[in-house]
Amino acid sequence: MEIPLHRRPPLIYRLARALRWLGILILVALLIFAGTVAYSAYEVAHASIHSESLTGVLVANGAIQIGGSFTLTNPGIYPIEGLVFGAQIANASGVHLVAVNVGPETVEGHSTGLFPILVSLPISASSAAESLLFVDQYLEVRAWANVTYAYMFPLSVALSESRSWGAPFEGFHASVGSPTFTNGSFITPITVGWANHASFVEAGSLAVVVDSSAMVDCGGVTFSMDVHPGELYDQTQYETLNTGCNPSGGFLQITLSIAGSTTSLPPEPIP
Amino acid sequence: MSSANPAASPLASPPTSPAVPPSSPSPLSPEALGYRIPSLTYRIFVGGLRMILSFVFFVALPVAALTYVHARGIPIPVSIAAVTGWGIALLVLSAVRYVLKPTIAFGPLSVVLALVFFLYLYYLLSLSPYRLVLPGGTVSVAAGYSLFIEILMVAALVEMLAGFLVTVEDLWSPRERLPFDYPV
Repeated sequence: MEIPLHRRPPLIYRLARALRWLGILILVALLIFAGTVAYSAYEVAHASIHSESLTGVLVANGAIQIGGSFTLTNPGIYPIEGLVFGAQIANASGVHLVAVNVGPETVEGHSTGLFPILVSLPISASSAAESLLFVDQYLEVRAWANVTYAYMFPLSVALSESRSWGAPFEGFHASVGSPTFTNGSFITPITVGWANHASFVEAGSLAVVVDSSAMVDCGGVTFSMDVHPGELYDQTQYETLNTGCNPSGGFLQITLSIAGSTTSLPPEPIP
Repeated sequence: MSSANPAASPLASPPTSPAVPPSSPSPLSPEALGYRIPSLTYRIFVGGLRMILSFVFFVALPVAALTYVHARGIPIPVSIAAVTGWGIALLVLSAVRYVLKPTIAFGPLSVVLALVFFLYLYYLLSLSPYRLVLPGGTVSVAAGYSLFIEILMVAALVEMLAGFLVTVEDLWSPRERLPFDYPV
């Protein structure tokens, strides 16, 4: 009895062999895929995320605008998809200031994504952002991002850190000295001072109006300023008070004009 | 297993050099039936070589990757002992299956091997997502790999089905696959 060498294998055998090859094919393909994903992810991790430090500017509508950006470089071959970025910023007291949301975005392989962040904080006297003007502090930044890498690997990253914030009017003080009677008028010295710890130049003017406790305008002065980052400002001017106006118990109304934008600072009480 | 069945025991398989010339095979010899089973020694040798290769993929590379990560202060998703244990189980089963390929044990061993691989994957799946805090403590990461593992589990299931079919084939017609697995 001799078996023909070129006869066709039985059906079950062929099916089993096909399934074994299919299983091996899937396994090998996935292992190669995993290897390339690991290599690409390693490159992405080394490229990392580069973020610019937060910068603040005063804008015309009485708000402070915090701007920044982060750059995500993807040198790998697989796309970073569904990138959703969120952040919350709180001041040194833990008071929530602002939330930021970016995305969903996609960063294709061998490309770089630049994601700007721009938030506006009102700086009225009662706002949570008021302290940003006058007090250096560490802002609590809590950020998170969700992405899908290489089509099938979801990734969540959470970041919590403190970022230093330099106040543009750190230690701001405005005071009215004791009036003196000179040439038939009451003249009072008005002094303002602060340190510019922000990253921008404070070039413009600072108008100070003295209001009595009854909110009567007693007069005012205007200080010109050109304060560079890191510099101190301390100036005194003399103002002739309007007749019968007593500044004691009143307020100093301060208006800041920088680069064409006008911002009212919170009133400064006069002892 | 029948003692008359060459597929029943590896010890019953003939040496690679047939005792009779190929030109005049005995009517019941494997050559006459169209197959030549390598000797047990040869299969053990090749099985050992395959085990070394499997060791690289199932144990050495994963353990090296985990050690690399662990050495940088990053917590690892799965213990090195678990990876080593599962890996050795897989490569030993794989080698034994190769050695016993001419026997009826090949099909059931294929099922067992695929089942162990499936359980290994299920174990890895239970650890997804991989959560870690990077050194410094300010960044935490959660990486999911469930879909990848699930597709691998499909491959394991396919292998399991293939092993089941081989078992059925061997039970139905014990020597029928040998001429195709070990053609002369």
